[in-house]
Amino acid sequence: MAEKEHSTHFGYRTVDAAEKDGLVRGVFDSVASKYDVMNDLMSLGIHRLWKRFAIELAGVRRGQRVLDLASGTGDLADRFADLVGPEGLVLMTDINAAMLGVGRDRMLNRGHAGNLVYAQVNAETLPVPDDSFDLITIAFGLRNVTDKAEALSGMYQALKPGGRALILEFSKPLNKPLEKLYDLYSFKLLPKIGQIVAKDADSYRYLAESIRMHPNQSTLKGMMEDAGFERCDVHNLTGGIVAVHRGFKL
Amino acid sequence: MSVRDLALEGLEQSLNRVIGLDPLAGGRLARLHGRVVRIELGGGAVQLNFVPGHDGRLQILGGIEGEPDCTLAGSPMDLMRASDKSKGAAQLFAGNVRIDGDTRIAQSFSETLAGLDIDWEEQLSRLTGDIAAHEIGRGARAVLHEGTRIGRSMRDNLSEYLTEEARLLPHRFEIEDFLSDVDGLRDDSERLAARISLLERRLRGDAS
Repeated sequence: MAEKEHSTHFGYRTVDAAEKDGLVRGVFDSVASKYDVMNDLMSLGIHRLWKRFAIELAGVRRGQRVLDLASGTGDLADRFADLVGPEGLVLMTDINAAMLGVGRDRMLNRGHAGNLVYAQVNAETLPVPDDSFDLITIAFGLRNVTDKAEALSGMYQALKPGGRALILEFSKPLNKPLEKLYDLYSFKLLPKIGQIVAKDADSYRYLAESIRMHPNQSTLKGMMEDAGFERCDVHNLTGGIVAVHRGFKL
Repeated sequence: MSVRDLALEGLEQSLNRVIGLDPLAGGRLARLHGRVVRIELGGGAVQLNFVPGHDGRLQILGGIEGEPDCTLAGSPMDLMRASDKSKGAAQLFAGNVRIDGDTRIAQSFSETLAGLDIDWEEQLSRLTGDIAAHEIGRGARAVLHEGTRIGRSMRDNLSEYLTEEARLLPHRFEIEDFLSDVDGLRDDSERLAARISLLERRLRGDAS
């Protein structure tokens, strides 16, 4: 029993919970420099539309405070920093130092200053005061978090009343033919693309596996509700390959 | 997520490419960092929310929560003419273009965009597709509605012609009379058959 409590998934492998962070770190250390290229390649550029959709659901306004978790190279943080204006604030975070470094360099190169700050943050233990953000987002990151329930409840705590959380994540395709095609793509083709472009098939095999182990739409919605979120809704994109979960702290 | 998102992404990218090449325009737009300028085309059929970023690059959102800082509304052509300084006021006073909210933001925004070297017709064609689709949709619905109406009236006219004018078909009342006559005849013949069989039985009874 004790063993079960401390074990978790790393793709299809069951590993010690303490070990997962390190393994995930290995994956992202390995892919950080090719992250953007791979995102465009893997999703055929559609990830831009997924993110655009999430930005509209976020309803960010001038002067608001936004916490972006697992920012990666900062696609969302970049847009939020422009939407909140000079009076607002965006805290861009990632658990992985290599990813955050790549993201911060990119943001600096794009000329962001003043309303965008950076921190290396583990989404399970948010180092922020309660009731301090209007919006918390995590795009393609929750999957890699070891204790998702802990992360969700931390997000809930950190939101101001009236604030909302958005989770953009791979999910479960809504119909069988699409699922078959998607499986074929992600288990056969994806590791090969990863091998050629990022010289790392294993990390992209992990990606495909971790997507399959991630809770489906209704399970994740239930987890958000358990964490205290209200008026939770789910928006399926590209036939459920990706879903946006949204919940409010009222 | 839809074709609209794809169109917005395309428009945003090409606008930002041009803005990136014009530091002056970028600088002017950057002063509006975080403000929302809404442009309504075709009587609100297409709604675009432009939000300039820290470097003047624009984000174009299909929908926002709350109200924009200012709204420019009109047809694509009127808006384009309105941003031309020499004729702009004329468009405004002619009522072709409506401005709500902070007019200084609206003016600064539209002047800057008008100054950009952009093939507006080409850019707007992506979006006028939407308006055209809207118009076509409305047209199709109107045609369908009119078609149904014409169909109904043709049917009425035709049946009237066949029954009243050409007397090729019987009128509804005539049919009802005829059917009731048929019913009466059937009842009569059945009664007659019953009477005959009764008489036959009587004859046989007398004979025995």
